[in-house]
Amino acid sequence: MDDKTVTLVAFFVEIAPVPNTLDLLRQEGIDETDMTVISNMPYSSSILGRPMVWERLPIISLSGAFVGLLIGLFLNVGTPLLYPIRVGGQPLIPIPPSLVLTFELTMMGLIVSTFLGVLWESAFPSHGPRIGNPRISNGQIGVLFECAVDEKDRIVAVLEKQGVHDLEIINREERTL
Amino acid sequence: MSVKAISVVWPETEDPREKLLFDPRPTREMNNMVLDAMTTTSWRYWLVIAVLVVLVLIGIFGAWGYQILQGMGVAGIRRPVYWGVYITNFVFWIGISHSGTFVSAILRVFKAEFRRPFTRAAELMTSFALVVAGMYPLIHLGRTWRFYWMVPYPNQRQLWPNFHSPLEWDMLAIFTYLIGSTLYLYLPLIPDLAMARDYSTGWRGNLYRIMALGWRGTEAEWHHLKTAITIFAFAIIPVMFSVHTIVAWDFGMTMTVGWHSSIFGPYFVVGAIFSGVSAVVTVLLILRKAMRLDYFLRAEHFDALGKIILVFSAAWTYFFFADYLTEWYGGEAVGKELLTLQARGPVAPLWYLMLIFNVAIPLLTLWNKRIRTSVRGMLLITLGINVGMYIERYIIVTGALSRNRLPFNWGAYNPTLIEILISIGSLSTFVLLYALASRVLPLIPVWEVQEGQLSHRLRRIGRQLAPSVSELD
Repeated sequence: MDDKTVTLVAFFVEIAPVPNTLDLLRQEGIDETDMTVISNMPYSSSILGRPMVWERLPIISLSGAFVGLLIGLFLNVGTPLLYPIRVGGQPLIPIPPSLVLTFELTMMGLIVSTFLGVLWESAFPSHGPRIGNPRISNGQIGVLFECAVDEKDRIVAVLEKQGVHDLEIINREERTL
Repeated sequence: MSVKAISVVWPETEDPREKLLFDPRPTREMNNMVLDAMTTTSWRYWLVIAVLVVLVLIGIFGAWGYQILQGMGVAGIRRPVYWGVYITNFVFWIGISHSGTFVSAILRVFKAEFRRPFTRAAELMTSFALVVAGMYPLIHLGRTWRFYWMVPYPNQRQLWPNFHSPLEWDMLAIFTYLIGSTLYLYLPLIPDLAMARDYSTGWRGNLYRIMALGWRGTEAEWHHLKTAITIFAFAIIPVMFSVHTIVAWDFGMTMTVGWHSSIFGPYFVVGAIFSGVSAVVTVLLILRKAMRLDYFLRAEHFDALGKIILVFSAAWTYFFFADYLTEWYGGEAVGKELLTLQARGPVAPLWYLMLIFNVAIPLLTLWNKRIRTSVRGMLLITLGINVGMYIERYIIVTGALSRNRLPFNWGAYNPTLIEILISIGSLSTFVLLYALASRVLPLIPVWEVQEGQLSHRLRRIGRQLAPSVSELD
């Protein structure tokens, strides 16, 4: 982002014109990565006519589960080997009881990493200028996009024909897609 | 046969618009309903808070503090009954904690649409019930300050805790479940906290700004959130099952007659869900009245939850009978004595009360829709179930220990005033935490309700307005 570009939000009162608006923006040369839809409830990629977002979260979750598994194995297998206490008639590393704790720690790793993954992927927490818009909380749907300054007026004219409810220019410091 | 001989009966028709998901309102109106419920408090609310604070001060700070200073002698646990109401309370609160996961995660996985308005209220119960449950091992420990010996690290003699002990499993399972259920409560809360942030000023505005983490509602944020909620829903279910199974194994792994049973794991899990879902209904009925949430919490929801309770009452009865019959048929002397104690001994009134509350009343009443949708009826039935489930845990914990293989070592258990005060204090802690949270956190997941309303439409087929649901994922 630089001084040659401007960020705008086009507000709509319902979802119906949003996919067409996104098509129009594409036709006007706006790149897929330079626009997003902001809403107060989730709309799937197929409703919006947008490409699927590549999701790394499952990989992060599985990695966390693997780390949890390793910690579980360390506690169940590693500690008796490092500090053995031999009790007559009892194995040093009994497998059935070890499975319980290994399972719990694997799930703990999965759960914690999923949560941290959401924070990481969504760049949370963000308490700077990138705050939400109250209109979205009131049910309006925003199409946030970035375009060249000299193309702004032409694109705005096209959007107004689409029945856009309102248009808002985002301050420079708030511009993060 | 004459046509005139056939009596004409018109079918009763229900207006689908009586259901929440077919009765959408403007977003702003729904937001205001939830926020008004949080911010409007009457003198009655503050009176209840004041009473709860006093009870918490007496029970937790006073009675528990006294026990810490004086030692475990002030509790009623004596040879041979070393587990009393503290362990009963622990098992009971772990059971209540199954409310949120069952209502939220399992119903979410099965896409039960009626779950939408009350998942958060149930999830909040899970977290606070686990906080209260987690207090009891510390209370029961006596020397509470020795708790850190359970934490997995080697002490100065290079000895690690015994990871093959069910008590160690208990601690890690509860921690995993507490962390998991609290994060599972928080994640779907973020969009509603952002909504509250946009509507609030002052300390509330600042609090919601911090808690909403900068949520804007972009496609990517929603996508990550939905994926995470799905992962959580699938992950938390086996954790939920493991927690109460492990609690059951605390008993089942001992050689005590009446406890050493392979059915205890699933029997405890079914009982926990039975008691947890009943507690959800009780809490929802109180919230609906106290916070004027009639728009969101409707007869259809209590009807559906009533059916779930009916099924779990039948399941609990099945497990109870399977456990009982095995003990009865085995005819072992101590087991026989234990069953006689329950059927004809001093415990008998409690034992029959348990059967009335857990079996007779739910099975005889909840098949009736009129009762399932009656506020007073459901309140009494669900409160009764939790009294019944508490009695069940009390009988299991204290009964089996009072009759063991050495008759000269038989004994009885009577809780002392200190134990009763701590029990009341912990119940008050749960209610206090919940009452305070209900004024700070949006208890209705507005975005989930709106998402549901978007996918539900009425379609006219002939004379009928037929409900239809679209798959929007």
